[in-house]
Amino acid sequence: MAAVAKVIDLVKNYYLEAVVVRALRGVTLTVNQGDFVALMGPSGSGKSTLLNLLGCLDRPTSGQYFLGDQDVSEMDDDHLSEIRSRYLGFVFQSYNLLPQYTVVENIEVPLVYQGGRLDESTRAHCIRMAELVGLGERLDHRPMQLSGGQQQRVAIARALVNSPHVILADEPTGNLDSKTSDEIMVLLTRLNQQGKTIIMVTHENDIAAWARRVVHMRDGHIESEQKNPPRPLPELKGSLAVAIGDWPELKRL
Amino acid sequence: MLSIRDFVQTLVLLNLGGLAVFFGIMLFVAKGRRNIVLALRSLWLHKLRSFLSVLGIIVGTAAVIALMAFGEGSMQDALEDIKRQGATNVIVRSVKPPDNSTSQKRTFVVAYGLTRQDHERFLTINSVVQSVPMRIFPQEVRRLHRMVLGRVVGTTADYQKVNKIDIAKGRFLLDADNYEDEGADNYMRNVAVLGSDIAHQLFPFEDPVGQTVVLQSQHYVVVGVLADRMPTGGSGGSQAAEDFNKDVYIPLRTCWARYGSRIFVRQSGSRSAEQVELHQVTLTISDMDKVRGAGDAIRDQLEQNHAKQDWAVTVPLDRLEEAERAKNRYTLLLVLIASISLMVGGIGIMNIMLATVTERTREIGIRRALGAKRKDITLQFLLEAMVQTAGGGLLGLGLGLTAVYGIPWAYTQFTDKTLPAQIVQMSIFLALAVAVDVGILFGWYPARRASRLDPIEALRHE
Repeated sequence: MAAVAKVIDLVKNYYLEAVVVRALRGVTLTVNQGDFVALMGPSGSGKSTLLNLLGCLDRPTSGQYFLGDQDVSEMDDDHLSEIRSRYLGFVFQSYNLLPQYTVVENIEVPLVYQGGRLDESTRAHCIRMAELVGLGERLDHRPMQLSGGQQQRVAIARALVNSPHVILADEPTGNLDSKTSDEIMVLLTRLNQQGKTIIMVTHENDIAAWARRVVHMRDGHIESEQKNPPRPLPELKGSLAVAIGDWPELKRL
Repeated sequence: MLSIRDFVQTLVLLNLGGLAVFFGIMLFVAKGRRNIVLALRSLWLHKLRSFLSVLGIIVGTAAVIALMAFGEGSMQDALEDIKRQGATNVIVRSVKPPDNSTSQKRTFVVAYGLTRQDHERFLTINSVVQSVPMRIFPQEVRRLHRMVLGRVVGTTADYQKVNKIDIAKGRFLLDADNYEDEGADNYMRNVAVLGSDIAHQLFPFEDPVGQTVVLQSQHYVVVGVLADRMPTGGSGGSQAAEDFNKDVYIPLRTCWARYGSRIFVRQSGSRSAEQVELHQVTLTISDMDKVRGAGDAIRDQLEQNHAKQDWAVTVPLDRLEEAERAKNRYTLLLVLIASISLMVGGIGIMNIMLATVTERTREIGIRRALGAKRKDITLQFLLEAMVQTAGGGLLGLGLGLTAVYGIPWAYTQFTDKTLPAQIVQMSIFLALAVAVDVGILFGWYPARRASRLDPIEALRHE
């Protein structure tokens, strides 16, 4: 298996006024193509810092980070933006959709910043992404008109639209009830089965149980790692189930 | 030489051209069009706020356009008045010197004023292309038992050109009427052209042309009648209003021959006499640039040849330039006021933009996470400010034009007077260009601040 993301001895210090906060103290981790990794740990353990670094939202104090075969640890801001728009997809705890845009327009946003032009075919692609997550009927709705689970599905469609190498999810079910959480996790699992690499931060054990690898962190170190056996997916109802039911025909997203 | 005015105009046009090209490209390219649409949508989301924040720009733009239009209108009015006198003319008049002869020998006849020699000397100045000498005095005009007090003007044919006189019947004086050779049969012809009032009073039901009138026991054949004409406004303090309708024009040479050098005037019982060869000479100069020089030359000549200050030289062009200088000062003042108002408007924009950036911090974080570069964010907010101020500028333009057309209309409705207003094209360009510039200038800092936000912090922002 090829390594999609690989960090070597990653250190991140935050320099506050008087103190230095050592958020990461030398983390080495390899994420392979098709992995589904859950980062766990108490608050302050550095899991969010690691996710931000993996998401190219921040630069490490020292250490190296290879995304594919590119060393992104020394890149400047514009370059990192480029990397984010081409190779990464983000799913956030609070969905982070743009309230003034419709569902399709929200899904389009990453394409806007890729520099290409938007036309009929990109629009069709975005509609297809919405259909994949079971929102083909709600293309022109605004986020405020959708439930939390639906909003998170829009966010997932948006994370898929640029065919990213890695999807980074920061507590994707943190704001959802358990039934809706299951929906989202089934969706992510199915994506993973389609070959998508997913790195997810969570502090809930039953959410981490969906991942294949669980990495425990403490005090800026990786404390331990465990592998989860594959588990059967629960039966779903509603539009998402219909949408996912069609998926096996898809080869690559 | 490039004047400051031209320089500013060029600058404004270049500026506006640049902005037009910018918006043109934005509208032409699909991506740019999309960005403008998105900017409009963001603004539309907070309609009232967007409107209030550009209110300063709207008022500023409208003020520039309206005030400049009113200023230009009243200036044009004044300039028109001056131009009617002839911008290429130099007017030389005889002035009765202050009477300081009480202790000296009392003379009944006062001799003063321009002489024929003066007139000859004026003609030696190269740039003089036309000269109209005049002798003007009040005189009774009689016909049968009717008598009217008129004003006799002894002059030449060119008088018609200089004063733009329309003839209703017959002809004006001809050069031939002033024929010089003694013995020729038209030497000292007694011909007269009547003003419309006089013609009407002396010949109530007849055609005056071909009839005779009597001036001081001399008979004159009426050869023409002037069309009725509004008296010109007496412009400035130096010249009285001229009522052409009571004039009687006779050839200058005839005037000299019949009246001699002394003119006796009887007015309301008192008699006076004066010895004046020419009351006024209106000189036309070939070129506007040479008017001032010609005026100076004439002054020099008169100073050398006259012991008393019994003459006055008026150059209408002087007043024209004075009026233009006043206009320029006024324009400068307006631009100053307008720039203050637009500056205040710009601060309003900046204020709201900063608030907007704070309010939309999370949006900025999301966009950054999804791959937006710093310059994308800068452009987004800058474009929003520009679209906002451009919209404000257009609204201000509408308001300004409404004021320019509406206020004079209302003024006429209520007061029966007119309020001249003339839209200055430049002011429209200026106001629009400056409005968008204000957007760029005051939108830049908030936009830059937005782009400098740390994406992680921004995402965490509530």
